Amino acid sequence: MSTALAGAPRRPRFRLEPYVQFAQKAMAREATYRFDVFTTIASVLVRVYLLRMVWVALYTRNPAPKELPLHAIITYSTVALLMGLVMDIDQTRALHDKLHDGSIATDFMKPINVPLYLFADGSGEVLFHAALIVPSLLLALFIVHIDVPPASVLLAFFVSFVLGYLVGFCVNFILNMIAFWTLEIHAARLIVTWVTDLFGGEIIPLVIFPAFLQRIAFGLPFAAMFSTPLLIYVRVIGPGRYLEAIGLQVFWLAVLALVATVMWRAGANRVVVQGG
Amino acid sequence: MAIIEAAGLRKVFRSVERRPGIGGAVAALFSRNYVEKVAVDDVSFTLQPGELVGYIGPNGAGKSTTIKMLTGILVPSGGTLRVAGIVPHENRMANAANIGVVFGQRSQLYWDLPLRESFELLRSIYDVPRERYLENMRHFAEILDLERFLSTPVRQLSLGERMRGDFAAAMLHDPQIVYLDEPTIGLDVVAKEAIREFIASVNRDRGTTVILTTHDLADVERLSRRIILIDEGTVIYDGPLERLREEYGTHRTLVVTLLESPAEIEVPGAEVESREMNVVRLRFNRRELTAEALIRRVTERYEISDVSIIEPDVESIVRRIYLEGYHEGAVGAPS
Repeated sequence: MSTALAGAPRRPRFRLEPYVQFAQKAMAREATYRFDVFTTIASVLVRVYLLRMVWVALYTRNPAPKELPLHAIITYSTVALLMGLVMDIDQTRALHDKLHDGSIATDFMKPINVPLYLFADGSGEVLFHAALIVPSLLLALFIVHIDVPPASVLLAFFVSFVLGYLVGFCVNFILNMIAFWTLEIHAARLIVTWVTDLFGGEIIPLVIFPAFLQRIAFGLPFAAMFSTPLLIYVRVIGPGRYLEAIGLQVFWLAVLALVATVMWRAGANRVVVQGG
Repeated sequence: MAIIEAAGLRKVFRSVERRPGIGGAVAALFSRNYVEKVAVDDVSFTLQPGELVGYIGPNGAGKSTTIKMLTGILVPSGGTLRVAGIVPHENRMANAANIGVVFGQRSQLYWDLPLRESFELLRSIYDVPRERYLENMRHFAEILDLERFLSTPVRQLSLGERMRGDFAAAMLHDPQIVYLDEPTIGLDVVAKEAIREFIASVNRDRGTTVILTTHDLADVERLSRRIILIDEGTVIYDGPLERLREEYGTHRTLVVTLLESPAEIEVPGAEVESREMNVVRLRFNRRELTAEALIRRVTERYEISDVSIIEPDVESIVRRIYLEGYHEGAVGAPS
């Protein structure tokens, strides 16, 4: 009788609104650290200037690789640094912290999809920092000259950049999920940072690696984060190869999203069975 | 119809046994011995809508583990559980919409945001209709005196302010059931009283079912008629607070102020609990001796200026049960 009265438990209807709010609140939160905005922009400008010096020095002493003449590599480095403004954010650090202090429990007690909440929160933070790209870019133009490709290339770059961001989100999420099992992820984070720096193409374009390193780098998902959009921007990847390049990003995104889903299920299950 | 039905609820944790020292830490990297810890052994109870129950037990008795199972974030190892017709861990989201939770030790407010924005966020999470939200906010702001710090970021609030915020947050979506885990811990007397008043009014005016775990038995005395006592993962008492007092509160204390200060004080049928100057505390069993008879015996022997009687408080009763175990219908044998 009791079951008849209670009826079948209804699953709350999905609503996007809370997640939009999470993202907005994350933006508002970031905006409270105003000083950080100026230091971030300043550090980007310093790095733009230093990297330009490094590349100029290297190019005057060595023959330039045919794919990337000096102006292309300076463009590449500058755009990479600007992308770094959003790509280098540890979006799901909150998960690691929540697992560490046990506050993940209060999130599970709310009628929310926790991974989606983490994504919304991280993306709010990222969107705030994305707004810094414009002033940084304008200032960077005073320091270095960069190439601006035609609109069709910019569009492809933008699509690839968004995919790269999503791949980066998955990598970051997977990394922070390790805390479900070990609580401490410092060593894993160091390794991932190092591997992404080297094989992601943020600092050194993968196309100027020796052949065997290129084979490794292009076979890893990290290239989908920085290298693909950047090579599209500097037109090393031409329109004829867009489908292949972007398709590969989609492939990595699917693989990593699957890994992340499996890990989340196992991790959340561990929390509900072992109590965190 | 019962709102919460728990039958034979059980939870066993498996953890790694560590041998002491660096050697043990290294050995644990390669081979592990698991030890099983029974947090909740056998817990059954039924709650009717609108009840307010004190869930009491010493540290490690399994209180928080039970609450976690009720909220659906912990899967029971055995037994059955239904909360408002839902099996919590199978339907975490649906269950979450029905419940409100307050942890004294942990806030559900968003640390970096002003209090008001945390409420806005919760409104959106629980899909509270705008008018209902405004009405609740007005009501809570009044009882809990929130107005002053609604615009302050949560991290800058005092513990008392934060707890009041947490209570409002837990009640914003009109949950049918609230779980309060040590809600008054660390609060000063005034704040404690404000929180107790709030709990009582929510239970009374909204008919919200409340499960309250606490170490501060004054909370229970003030708020609940029924208590569930749990020890080592099992329910050892479930019933009215009054009955516990009847059965275990057999000893009262007579406080006598004497006019002079004799060297020895002896009264048949009572034992001298303490003595400070000429104020003497006499402990006696009310089943063997009435207060009137005892006072007569005292006045026959000594000249007194004042008397008063102290009734046993829940704290001392519960302490005694933890030490001796609960026996049905225990006749207060002197401890």
